[in-house]
Amino acid sequence: MAGSSLEKIELVVRTIAQTSMDNEKYFTDLDGVVGDGDFGTSLASGFGAILEQWDSLDRTTGESFLLGCAKIISRNIGGTSGSIWRAAFRSAGKSISGKETLTWEDVVTMFRNAAEGIMDRGGADLGDKTLLDALVPAVDAFEKEMKNGGNTQQAVDAAAKTAREQAEVSKAWIAKRGRAAYTGERSKDTYDAGAVAVAVMVENIALRAIQN
Amino acid sequence: MKKFVNDPKQFVPEMLKGIQLANPGKISYVPDYNLIMRADAPNDNKVSIVQGSGSGHEPAHVMIVGKGMLDGACPGDVFAAPPIDYVVESSKLLNSAKGVLHIVNNYTGDRAAFRDAAEELEDEGIVVKTIFVDDDVAVKDSLYTVGRRGVAGNFFVIKAVGAAAEQGASLDELVALGDRVNNVIRSMGMALTGCAPPAKGDPIFTLAENEIEMGVGIHGEPGRARQELTSANEIVDQMLEAILTDRKPISETETAAPIFNEGDEVALMINGLGGTPISELYLLYGYAHQQLEAKGFKVWRSYVGEYCTSLEMAGMSITLCKVDDELKELLLAPAEIPIRVF
Repeated sequence: MAGSSLEKIELVVRTIAQTSMDNEKYFTDLDGVVGDGDFGTSLASGFGAILEQWDSLDRTTGESFLLGCAKIISRNIGGTSGSIWRAAFRSAGKSISGKETLTWEDVVTMFRNAAEGIMDRGGADLGDKTLLDALVPAVDAFEKEMKNGGNTQQAVDAAAKTAREQAEVSKAWIAKRGRAAYTGERSKDTYDAGAVAVAVMVENIALRAIQN
Repeated sequence: MKKFVNDPKQFVPEMLKGIQLANPGKISYVPDYNLIMRADAPNDNKVSIVQGSGSGHEPAHVMIVGKGMLDGACPGDVFAAPPIDYVVESSKLLNSAKGVLHIVNNYTGDRAAFRDAAEELEDEGIVVKTIFVDDDVAVKDSLYTVGRRGVAGNFFVIKAVGAAAEQGASLDELVALGDRVNNVIRSMGMALTGCAPPAKGDPIFTLAENEIEMGVGIHGEPGRARQELTSANEIVDQMLEAILTDRKPISETETAAPIFNEGDEVALMINGLGGTPISELYLLYGYAHQQLEAKGFKVWRSYVGEYCTSLEMAGMSITLCKVDDELKELLLAPAEIPIRVF
C-alpha cells in the first residue's frame, strides 16, 4: 500500500488506541452507571496491547495491518466486547483488500463495514443506544461533507461534531442492547459509554488531522 | 460454600489433569488451551467434532470426549466461554482432511468465540462448520443470550452427530443432521438451589427454603418465574406442559407448530444439575414417563443422570427428543467416554 494511505490508517488507529488509554477511568465510570463497568478497562487492555505491539504489526497492506489489530484485540478483550471491536477492525480491513491507495469513498466504505461488523456481532441496530448511534451518523456526516466538496479536515470536523451531538441525543433513550439493556427505564438520561467513546475518538482524530 | 479447591484459578486445569490421568492412552490433555482430546484424533477418515462452552457443566463437555462422541473439548473457565485462541489452536490440532465441526450452545459469549475462531481458521485454509444448539423452551432471551439457550438437549445432537461422523459422514451431512436433531429436542430446567463458582465462593443466587426458580439456564441465570416449591409431580407437570406446547419463534411475529404430537416416539431425559441425588431423578423420571404414556406418546428410551450440570446446583431439567428410525440407530450406536465405562 502506498505510504500515505497506510500512514493515515496508522494515525487513526493510534489515535483511537491512545484515546482508549487516556480515558480508561472516564469510560469505565460512564459504563458503571447502568452497565457492568468494564468498558473502559476492556478497551484499555485491547488497545494497550496494540500500542505495545505497534512496531511488530504487519504493514504489508492496510488490510494486513487492520487484521493484525483485530487479532490482538481478540486475544486481549474478552467476551462480546472483544468480538465487537475485533469485527470492526476485521471488517474495515477486509473492505480495503487489494487497494493500493484509499479514496475518501473507500474510507466511508471502510467505516460502514466496521459498523456492519459491529451490528452483526452485537445484534444491535441503530436506535438501540450503543456506540453505533454515534458512529454511523458520524460517517454519514463525513460522506456528506466530502460530497459537497469539502476537504478532509472539514469532513472529519463534521463527523466529530455529529458524533458528539448524537452521544448527547441518545442520552435520553432506553438501552436495548448490551448489559445496560437489563436496567430498562433506568438507562434513560445516562450516557451510553460506547457512544461517548466514539465521540471522543473522532474529536481526537480531527485534532490529530489538523496537527498532521 | 464448602468446596474441594486448592487455588480457584487452577480449578479447571486440575480437573482436566485428573481426566487425563484417569484415562491413560485414551485421552490427551493440552494445558495451553484447556483441551481434552481423543488420543487417536485427528483421523483423516472422520470429521473432527469440537465443543467449547464454559466449565462447570461436567460431564459436558470434557468428559464426553471419546469414540462416537466428541473428538475434543476446549472449555473456558467456570461459566466463561473459551477464549478465541483456545478454539483456534484446538481446531488446528484436531484438523482432519474431512474438516472440523464445531458444536456450540447458543450463548452469546460462546457464539462470538466460535464465530470469530471460524473466521481465523478459514483464513488459514481450515474447513470449519458450526451447529448451534438452542433447545431451551423457558425464555426467548436471557442475560447471556440472544435467542434461545442451548442446554442439556445438546447431548442428543452430540450423540447423533458423533455416531454419524464415526460412520464416515461428510461435514455437510453432519451439519444437516445436527440441525435436524436440534429441531426435535426441547428442554426446560428448574433449580432448587443456586451454585457457587470456585473463584466467587458465594452462590450466584439464593433461593429461600420454599422457593424454586423455574426455567433456569445452565448457569443459574433467571428463567420464567421464581415460585413456591410444590410437589415433584406438580413440577414435572408444569415442565412437560411447557415442553409439549412449545411453539418456537421463527420470526418476530410467527411461531412454529408444536413438534410433539400424540403417537410420537420420544427419548426422555431427566438431567440432574449437579446436586440432586439419582434417587430423586428416578422418582421424577417415573412420573414423567407415565404422564407421557398417558398423553399418547411412546417413550422409546430413557436417559436419567447427569448430562449437563451447573456445578453443585440442586435441580433438574427435562428434555424430550422426538425419534425416528435413523435417529434411533445413531443414538444406539456404541460410544465410549471417560466416565460410565465399567
